[in-house]
Amino acid sequence: MHATIQKPIDEILGYLKPDERVFVVGCGNCAAKCHSGGEPETQEMAERLKRKGIKVAGWSCTDSGVSLCKLSIVKKMLNEEHKKESEQADSFLILACGQGIHTVMDATDGGMVHPGCDTIFGGETVNDDFITEYCSLCGECIVEYTGGLCPVTLCAKGLLNGPCGGAKDGKCEVDRNRDCGWQLIYDRLIALGRLDEMEKYKMPKNNSKWSRPRSLAIGEGEATFKSLSGERKVASHA
Amino acid sequence: MSKLKQALESGRFVVTGEIGPPKGVDLDKCLQDAQMLREHVTAINVTDLQSAVLRIGSLAVSARLIERGLEPVYQLTCRDRNRLALQSDLLSAWSLGIENVLCITGDHPILGDHSEAKPVYDLDSVQLLKAASTLNQGHDMAGHELESAPSFFLGAVVTPAAEPLEPQIIKMKKKIEAGAKFFQTQAIYEPEKFEQFMSRIQGYKVPVIAGIVILKSAAMAKFMNANVAGISVPESIIREMEETAKEDRRKKAVELAARIIRQVEPFCQGVHIMPLGWDELVPEIISEVGVIP
Repeated sequence: MHATIQKPIDEILGYLKPDERVFVVGCGNCAAKCHSGGEPETQEMAERLKRKGIKVAGWSCTDSGVSLCKLSIVKKMLNEEHKKESEQADSFLILACGQGIHTVMDATDGGMVHPGCDTIFGGETVNDDFITEYCSLCGECIVEYTGGLCPVTLCAKGLLNGPCGGAKDGKCEVDRNRDCGWQLIYDRLIALGRLDEMEKYKMPKNNSKWSRPRSLAIGEGEATFKSLSGERKVASHA
Repeated sequence: MSKLKQALESGRFVVTGEIGPPKGVDLDKCLQDAQMLREHVTAINVTDLQSAVLRIGSLAVSARLIERGLEPVYQLTCRDRNRLALQSDLLSAWSLGIENVLCITGDHPILGDHSEAKPVYDLDSVQLLKAASTLNQGHDMAGHELESAPSFFLGAVVTPAAEPLEPQIIKMKKKIEAGAKFFQTQAIYEPEKFEQFMSRIQGYKVPVIAGIVILKSAAMAKFMNANVAGISVPESIIREMEETAKEDRRKKAVELAARIIRQVEPFCQGVHIMPLGWDELVPEIISEVGVIP
């Protein structure tokens, strides 16, 4: 899940030139779950823009549960189902994550895009009204040694070898209402009987695996991950 | 050779002091503070952007101490530099005559005056110690040979009053394995707890220098209890401070610091006095305790 929040309307209005005709695009998956760009929010945005005197060519959102970040779906949506309005549009306002924005750009052959949302993190949907971050997408998972909890994400400093001296009553120095990530890991390792893991030295991260942009090519029986760390081919097990 | 290393290796009880570099380029006051400590301490810690507030760097100030014949403990945090910069600054430090390095994590930038800064923490304190040890052995942390190697005396920090204590002790052991040859601690106000801590780490056979923060007032104690991790000033000390008239507070501060030093002395290898502005009291504290550096 890519969590997103809508940008303030005044910021969005500031992107649009006078007489610019805009088409509003939403995402039926993550942005819908965040209430930042599902069908109702996309329609509502189109209405709000019209009320502000903006020319709106149309609006569309992928079906419920369907992500905007899949190129074939967006091509079908904008180039077939909404062909006419899409062609009339000078630009697209995307109520979705940054991947969705680029997907619209690709689908419209380099069309002008405006971000309608800020993409804030990748997270777990704990329940319908709460999403929280457990993974930083670092390319080198180490939670085997930390009881399933990621120190890169849960520790404000991303420390790999244990807590700093800043925790007080199990809370982090950056915010006394927030759990110290290493306190959570320590408690969990004790509960699992695996505290010995905490005693082992952890190497510094290979940041070249975290270099952006990265890509994954999925082939027949094999996938290739590309980053600055090089190409890593892995067998896919169908 | 590092006087601090010599003193600790000879088993002598050491006293270290601390200065905080200023926000600006005029070092007069800070060097005067250091001068005041000259006859009373073996080495002087130079903090590295303490509290994540922008200041002149610990490298420059450490070098200025050396020019004046004072021995610095160069504090180096992981907060602001990646592994290239950390290793390069270490090599620079050696070229300036710096031998003692205290490797620390560093307060998060959100707590300082540049809260929008990118927190680096490319290495953590254990990894930094290991990188510095590797430099001592003539290699960088990527395994490449150095044309010439430094020979740092590496230190680290530990918080004896942390709750729970076990994660601190686990990390302390990793720091020793990574090359820490001495430890300086967070401020101690409860000698009994410190004694318990020292008995738990007895097997580690590493010199521990107990942190002493000069307590200026009851308000300061309450503030630290509420806000500073790993510091717990007992109610009895707060009361003692409250019952002291304002004009007698400096005297009380000296008495308190000296008392704690005497209480921790049997269990550790030295004390690290953090005056936080009351630098002129350090000589009085030392003479009251009767420790000879």
